[in-house]
Amino acid sequence: MGIHGLVALSSLLLVSCPPKSDAGHQADIISTVEFNHTGELLATGDKGGRVVIFQREPESKNEPYNQGEYNVYSTFQSHEPEFDYLKSLEIEEKINKIKWLPQQNAAHSLLSTNDKTIKLWKITERDKRPEGYNLKDEEGKLKDLSTVTSLQVPVLKPMDLMVEVTPRRIFANGHTYHVNSISVNSDCETYMSADDLRINLWHLAITDRSFNIVDIKPANMEDLTEVITASEFHPHHCNLFVYSSSKGSLRLCDMRASALCDKHSKLYEEPEDPSNRSFFSEIISSVSDVKFSHSGRYMLTRDYLTVKVWDLNMETKPVETYQVHDYLRSKLCSLYENDCIFDKFECAWNGSDSVIMTGAYNNFFRMFDRNTKRDVTLEASRESSKPRAILKPRRVCVGGKRRKDDISVDSLDFTKKILHTAWHPTENIIAIAATNNLYIFQDKVNSEMH
Amino acid sequence: MEFKLEAHRIVSISLGKIYSARGQRGGLKLHKNLLVSLVLRSARQVYLSEPGCPPEPPPAAAGHPEEEPPPCPAAWAAEEPPPPPPQDEAGRDCQGPRPRRCCCGENRGGCAGAPPPPHCPRKRSAGERGQAGSPVKKPRREEEEPPPLPPPPPPSPPGEQEDMETGNVASLISIFGSSFSGLLSKEPKGRRRPPLDGGEAAAGTAPAEAAAEPGQICCDEPVLRTLNPWSTAIVAF
Repeated sequence: MGIHGLVALSSLLLVSCPPKSDAGHQADIISTVEFNHTGELLATGDKGGRVVIFQREPESKNEPYNQGEYNVYSTFQSHEPEFDYLKSLEIEEKINKIKWLPQQNAAHSLLSTNDKTIKLWKITERDKRPEGYNLKDEEGKLKDLSTVTSLQVPVLKPMDLMVEVTPRRIFANGHTYHVNSISVNSDCETYMSADDLRINLWHLAITDRSFNIVDIKPANMEDLTEVITASEFHPHHCNLFVYSSSKGSLRLCDMRASALCDKHSKLYEEPEDPSNRSFFSEIISSVSDVKFSHSGRYMLTRDYLTVKVWDLNMETKPVETYQVHDYLRSKLCSLYENDCIFDKFECAWNGSDSVIMTGAYNNFFRMFDRNTKRDVTLEASRESSKPRAILKPRRVCVGGKRRKDDISVDSLDFTKKILHTAWHPTENIIAIAATNNLYIFQDKVNSEMH
Repeated sequence: MEFKLEAHRIVSISLGKIYSARGQRGGLKLHKNLLVSLVLRSARQVYLSEPGCPPEPPPAAAGHPEEEPPPCPAAWAAEEPPPPPPQDEAGRDCQGPRPRRCCCGENRGGCAGAPPPPHCPRKRSAGERGQAGSPVKKPRREEEEPPPLPPPPPPSPPGEQEDMETGNVASLISIFGSSFSGLLSKEPKGRRRPPLDGGEAAAGTAPAEAAAEPGQICCDEPVLRTLNPWSTAIVAF
């Protein structure tokens, strides 16, 4: 499939207030984006602890190109700020990750987590309600019994669709450090949660205990040299999972090997290029995200300047490396100073594992076609996202010949960062979170292919 | 020289980050502080490594020491007076492998920023030459970098600092186990401490004294002298 021709399907604003600064309201900054397994639903979490779920409208026969926009389906407050009195620390309500459970009945379920607590939410629809009770009236108040003269059988009558979200489980007190990722196992019964130093395995039905499966906390904290940055279960093998570290390595672990998977089954590490050594080499090699391919054969990692594709069978180096914004390599000191070097970008596969995507600065996001080796830079902004307008590829010029519409490195806006992106599981629809705005783009040829 | 300036700048930026991380909502971020401390450590090594020193362990320890004191004062004094402009320049030179070879700018051959231990014996001999008072000034100056710079202190033998590193680990733990606020002063201008004589001996007592004053400077000299930055960040947890 091609990666050109992305059409702005719906340019959605998560908040309606026009942001004067880039951030607008801090609480509205989107902190995670996730499609469910069918792609029908799209969940976003924000810094204010809210989750907003969008649902794709069914296709309309009248407008075949309008493959269905995403509209708000439900909004709920997932997490509230808490205070840890023992440590005198406030626990942020920011939603770090959302993961959908595979749908097993009419209800949808998802896990959402902040720094400390994971919650399981059940989303149900109600479109009928019983009417005609004997003992209570329409508002539910008890009737005066003297007015009841006959018995009636309540009947279900249609009503306006109501989406109800209820917390079904709260998995608390499992983590001392900040939770950075959660991943549902392919067995649909367990999931894992990872913080900086430990990974716990939970059963979805049991909240009062979890099993610690990875613990890299050293006996003496002064010996600490690396932390866990991301983790994910293998999509098919329920015994395998991977976790990434701040040193740029990946560890594949097999839960059958032992109860505590401190010893990895495979260690994926690329030796550092000595010519690139700087004060900041360690920071830029820290892996911010790891994702298995849908096939389960590859892993995708994101560090500050690159995305890499790793073959599970090869531990010595990645099979593919793509430069996201190598022109930043000479600016690492400034990026360290303004904290941008600590930004954690995510990465995503498309449904067929042929294209990978990740975000960058200036509201740019990048896509790399693994087969053709072509790449494109696109921008998620209101100006470039008129509905139905085809996105124009952007280019960052690093000196030399400057073409019209090129952006120079020095005029990049580092406050406009695209950290969170998601790709529809089967179709060429992508969700891009640009600070507090959500953009959903669709490939123009999508409707022609289906 | 430029690399030293740039390393110096990075050290002060890093310390500033650790300082401001205290008040962050949601608590200290372990990952970020680990990375900051790694940068701090790298920059510090560059900053403290003497120009012209070879990276390998110095068997001819006797032969080297006389080299050090002359370049040291010159290097340090040169850095002090105009902090802002050199920092701007240093910023531009920040990247690349050059920071590691800090002393090459002095035309004293290659010094690839060796790990601290090989320096220790040699540096200690320099320290024995009566520069024991200076270590305390240097960390003080580092810590005060974000606010306006106080008068430049005499240089310190880095080896002595690193030698004290292991020795003060236990005291560091005791300091920071209680409160991270001890790492940096809130009012650096008003808190210049008199230099300690025989730095190593004093270091043991200073932490204890400082720990008794929560919220005040907690033993900045020995802390920053040893400057095991990682411990300062994470032992707070």
